[in-house]
Amino acid sequence: MGGKITCTLGEVKNRADFIVYWGGNPAECHPRHFSKYTLTQKGKFVPEGRKGRTMVLVDIRETPSARAADIFLQIRPGKDFEVATTLRALVKGQRVNEATVAETGLTVAQLQDIVDRMKRAKFGVIFFGMGLSMTRGKHMNSGSILMLAAELNAFTKFVCMPMRGHGNVTGADVVLRWTTGYPFGINLSRGYPRFNPGEFSTVDLLVRGDNDAALILGADPGATMPQPGIEHLARIPTIVLDPKVTHTSRLARVHITTAVTGISAPGTAYRMDEIPLPLRPALTSPYPTDEEVLRRICKAVSARPAWVPAPYEGAGIS
Amino acid sequence: MLRINGGTVYDPANGIDGVVKDIYIDGERIVAPPTGGADASTSRTIDATGMLVFPGGVDVHTHVAGGALNFARGLVPENQRAARKFLHGANRRAGIGGMTPTTFATGYLYAGMGWTTVNEAAVPILSAKHTHEELHDTPIVDKSCLVLMANNEIVLDLIEAGEVERAQHVVAWLIWAAKVYGVKAVNPGGVAAWKWGKNASNLHQTIEGYKTLTPADIISGLAKIIDDLQLPHPLHLHCNNLGNPGNISTTIETMKVLEGRRAHLAHLQFHAYGGDDWPTMRSGAVEIAEAFEKNPNLTTDAGAVLFGDAVTITADGPWQHMLHQLTGRKWGNLDVENETGCGIVPYVYRDRHTVNAVQWAVGLELLLLIKDPWRIYLTTDHPNGGCFWRYPEIIRLLMDKEFRKEQIKQLSADAQSRIVLGELDREYTLSEVAIITSAGPARALGLSQKGHLGVGADADVTIYPARPANDDMLFSYPRYVLKGGEIVVEEGEIRAVSEGKEFVFRPAYDEQIEEYIRPLFQKVYTMSFENYPVEIERVRGAEVVTK
Amino acid sequence: MITLTLKEQPNVPLEAETLSPDITSTLTHDALCALPVQLGKRQRRLDDFFTVEGEASDEITINGDARKIKWIGRGMTRGRIQVEGHAGMHLGAYMKGGSIEVSGNVTDWIGAEMTGGMIRVRGNAGGQVGAAYRGSLAGMTDGTIIVHGTAGLEVGMRMKRGVIFIGGAVRDFAGLQMRGGTIVLGGGAELRTGAWMMRGTIVSLKPLPLLPTFAYAATYNPTFIRILARTLRNLALSLPYEEREGAYERYTGDASVPGKGEILVWHPQANATA
Repeated sequence: MGGKITCTLGEVKNRADFIVYWGGNPAECHPRHFSKYTLTQKGKFVPEGRKGRTMVLVDIRETPSARAADIFLQIRPGKDFEVATTLRALVKGQRVNEATVAETGLTVAQLQDIVDRMKRAKFGVIFFGMGLSMTRGKHMNSGSILMLAAELNAFTKFVCMPMRGHGNVTGADVVLRWTTGYPFGINLSRGYPRFNPGEFSTVDLLVRGDNDAALILGADPGATMPQPGIEHLARIPTIVLDPKVTHTSRLARVHITTAVTGISAPGTAYRMDEIPLPLRPALTSPYPTDEEVLRRICKAVSARPAWVPAPYEGAGIS
Repeated sequence: MLRINGGTVYDPANGIDGVVKDIYIDGERIVAPPTGGADASTSRTIDATGMLVFPGGVDVHTHVAGGALNFARGLVPENQRAARKFLHGANRRAGIGGMTPTTFATGYLYAGMGWTTVNEAAVPILSAKHTHEELHDTPIVDKSCLVLMANNEIVLDLIEAGEVERAQHVVAWLIWAAKVYGVKAVNPGGVAAWKWGKNASNLHQTIEGYKTLTPADIISGLAKIIDDLQLPHPLHLHCNNLGNPGNISTTIETMKVLEGRRAHLAHLQFHAYGGDDWPTMRSGAVEIAEAFEKNPNLTTDAGAVLFGDAVTITADGPWQHMLHQLTGRKWGNLDVENETGCGIVPYVYRDRHTVNAVQWAVGLELLLLIKDPWRIYLTTDHPNGGCFWRYPEIIRLLMDKEFRKEQIKQLSADAQSRIVLGELDREYTLSEVAIITSAGPARALGLSQKGHLGVGADADVTIYPARPANDDMLFSYPRYVLKGGEIVVEEGEIRAVSEGKEFVFRPAYDEQIEEYIRPLFQKVYTMSFENYPVEIERVRGAEVVTK
Repeated sequence: MITLTLKEQPNVPLEAETLSPDITSTLTHDALCALPVQLGKRQRRLDDFFTVEGEASDEITINGDARKIKWIGRGMTRGRIQVEGHAGMHLGAYMKGGSIEVSGNVTDWIGAEMTGGMIRVRGNAGGQVGAAYRGSLAGMTDGTIIVHGTAGLEVGMRMKRGVIFIGGAVRDFAGLQMRGGTIVLGGGAELRTGAWMMRGTIVSLKPLPLLPTFAYAATYNPTFIRILARTLRNLALSLPYEEREGAYERYTGDASVPGKGEILVWHPQANATA
C-alpha cells in the first residue's frame, strides 16, 4: 500500500484537536477511549480539553458514541470505501461525481466541509474500527483510511490508528513480526515463514478445509466462522486451550482449561498503539497457564523424531 | 582449554599487527599461554595456520530490534519474500534475512559474518520493553542499546528552563528506567517539531512549540549531562539536517556547539554533503574530515551507502516525510508521545542516480580521508545505507584501490565531477580493518573486554581464510567464529546457539527525582507510572555496569 | 509429451512448483516420478499422487481435479502445460514464457507477477488474476491471461503491462491500483472497478457502477480498440468496435490518486459523440 502514519495514544491526548472515529463504537467497545486518551482529557497542548477538540463520528447507524460527537456522518452500509476515496480526491482539489457521492448517503458539500476542517486542524487523527475493516472491501477500507491520513500530511499533522480489540491481538501481531517477519497468516510448513492473506489466514484455511489439525488458543472460531469452517473444525482433530468451555471446545477432541491471562497468568500485552504493558496477575488459578501447557506439548513433540524441512532451493516458493 | 594454533593475529589494541602466534581460551575468556606446555591441558586445537585471526566484530550503530524496526518489517512483506530464508533446524529457529531480518536470523547473520557485539542505536523508553524482548530473541551476539533522549519533552523543558542539575537526574533516571547502555540524540528538536509537522534544521533557531530552546541548547546540554554522569559511551549524535545538500555547515556548527566535549557523530556520510540544492549537491567529505580531525574529542561511524535495496528507518520523522514526497515510495511514521518518533521509507540506491552515486562515494571518502582509524568505524547505519551483512563489500573497497577505481568508472561523468574518491590512493591494511570493525568501536563503547585478544578479553574471535575460496571478498566467510570461547560458526554453519549478554549502565541519581517525574508523567503520558520502567528481569543476560 | 493423471487427492494442498516445463524437459522417467512435491510439511514424490507417463519433454498434460494443487507452472519460461480438469492457486505465477491451458476452473493468484507467456482458463478463476503479491509494487508486467468464465476480487491488481480478458463477470476491485496494461471485462463487474488506478485501460462490455472519482469524458470508438480486437480475434475472442450502432463511453480516473487511467464501457445503442 502507501504506508501507515500513526502515533502513540499520548500524542492524541496532548495534541489532537480533530478526531474522527470511523466504523467504531468506542462508547461501548473501547469504554475508556474518550476519557483516557482522546476527548475529555486536558492535553499538554489542548488545555481546554473537550472544548478544544472536534469529534466526528462516521458510522452506518447512530450508536451511543454519536452522543459524544460534534458531527455525525451517517454512511449507507458498504459505502465506506467510496467515501474515503472521495475524501482523498477532495483533499487534492479534484472533482468528484455528485450523484455517485450522494449514493453513499452523504453529499459532496458535507465531505468538502470535512476536508476543510481536516486541513485546518493542528493535529488530526482517524480511529478506524471493525465496522470498516470487516465490511465489504475489508483491507482496502482500512487501506483507504491509511492513505487519506498519509496524504493529509502535505497540509497538516495527521495520523490514524486501528481500534484493535479482542485480547492481545496487537501483541500477537508484534511478536509474530519480529520472529517471522509477518503479522499473521504465517505458514511454516516448508521450514521458513510464508505469508499470504486469503491463502493462509484462518477463516480461509478452515472454510476450504486446507488443514488436517487445529490448535485453538484463546479464540472461539466455532462461534464466529462460516458454517463450512465450523464443520471442518469438527471433522479434524481440534485442540482448544481456553479458560472457558467455548463453542469450539464443544466440537474439539481435546479441551484444556487454562488460567486467564492478566487475571491469573502474567505476561505482556501490547496496546493498540503497540506500547507494551506488563500484566500483573491479581489472583491465583488452579489451572496451568497457556505457556505451561504449550511448553509441555512442545516437550512431548521434541521427544519424537525431529522434523527436518525439505532443503530450500534458492528458486523456492516465497 | 582451547588453543588457536598458528594463525596470523591482528590485535591492534595490543599492538599486534599480523604476528603468527597462538591464542589460548579458557571458559569464556582469553588466557595467557599455559606454563609447562600446551598439550596437557588443551582439550581442543583449532589449526589456524595460514589464516587471519581477528577480534570479533563490534557494530557500533545498527537498527535490529524494537518498535521502529518491527514497524518496518510489517511495511515490506515483498522484501521478506525476496530475502534469504533460514530454515528451521535442530539448533536453529526459522527466520528471514534481508533488509529487516527477523530476530533469530539477525543473530545468525551477524555471527556468520564474524561480528559478536551489536549496539542497537535507537530505543524509545516507552517501548523499551519491546526492544529488550527482541534483543533476547537475537541469539549469539552480545548487545547494548541507546535510549533516545534529544526530543524527550520533560528533558527539553528542563534544559530550556536552565535546570541543569535536575535535568541530569532525570536523564539518569530515564537511562535506568529504559535499562540501556547509553544515550542517543536524533535530530535534536527536530523530532519534537515534527509532532506539529515541522522540523528544526537551524541549530540556533527556536524550536517549534518552544519559547527559547534551540537544537544547540539540547546538544550542549545533553553532552554535558552524559559527561557528568560518566557514561562509558559519549553522547551518540545524529546531527540536525540529515541528508540535505549543504548540510556540512550544520555538521561543522554542531562540532563547534559541542565545545570540545566528547561525542560520537553517527553515520557521518549522511551529514557530509556540499552544494546548495539537489542539482548542485556534491561531496563535502573533505570539509567534514578536516573539521573532524580538528576536534579530537569526537568519534564517528561511516554510515556508508551501498548500491542496491535498503530500508530507511530513523527517528528523523520529518526527513522521512520529505523522502516519501520526493520518491513516492511507501512511508511509515510512528510518533512516540513525549519522547521521539520514527519514519520508514523503503529505498533503493542506484549507481546511475547522481545523488546516490555521491552518497556512495562520501562514505568511502570519509573512511579514507580521516587518517586515524581509531576514530571512525565501519557501519552502514543498517538498514539505512545498506545491510550489515554487506560490510565485507565496503572492506574490499577500502583495501583495494584498483577495484575501487573500477567502480568509480561505472559512475556517470557528472557524478564523478562531484566527488574526490578517484583521487584517493589510500588502501586500508588488515590492522586498520581490525580497528574500524572491532577495536575502535569497542573502545568508543567503553567495552574494555571487547575488540581485542589480550588476556582477560571475552573470547570472541573470528578466523578468516587468508585466501578467499572463490575470489570473493576476504571477509565474507569466516572459517571459524568463536563467541565467549564457544565455536558458534564453523565453515559457514551455525554450530552452537548461545544467548548473548546485554550490557546495561546504571548511572547515579538522586532517588527523589522520581517525585518530580511522577506527577509530570501522569499528566502527559497515558499509562501508570509504575508500568513505565523496564523491569531488570526482562533484560535477560543483563550485565549491569556502573561508572 | 508427459502425461500425469491424478490418482490420489491430497488431503491438504499440494505444492507442485516442480511441475514446470523448464524442469521436466530434461528428466528421465524415474527422475520425473521422484520429483519432489510438498504435502503440508512433508516432501513426497510426484508418483505418490500421479501416474506418470513419458519423460524429457517440455509439454505436460495433467488429467484430473487438481484444484488443491498449487504453483503449477511457476516461473516457467517455455513449453506447454495442459490441464484437463481444474488447477489450484498460483498457476503460472512469475511465468516468463510458454503457455498454460486449463479446461476447468482455477482458484486465486493465477499469473501473479508474470512477465510473459499465456494462460487460458476455459472455466472460472478466483481472485487476484495477474496481480501483485501483498506489498509488491507491481503485478503482471507482460503476458496474456484469458478466463472464459467468471473471476473474483482484485483482477489485475497493480498490473503494469499485459492483457487480461475475462469472459464472465468479476467481483470487486478489478484493476485496483492499475499501473498499465489492459483488462477486458466481458461480463462486467461488481463494485469499485479501477479503484485508485494510475494508468491503463479497462474495457467493459457491460455497464458497471463506477466510483465517484471517475469522470465521463466522451463517447466514441477508440482506434486502438480495433487493434486490440484483432489481437483478441487471434485468440478466438471478440470485442465490439465500429458496429453500425454502438460506441464506448470513456471515463477517466481515479481522481483520488490522481490517476490517468481510463474505463471504456460499451454501449450497443450509443452514437459516437466524437
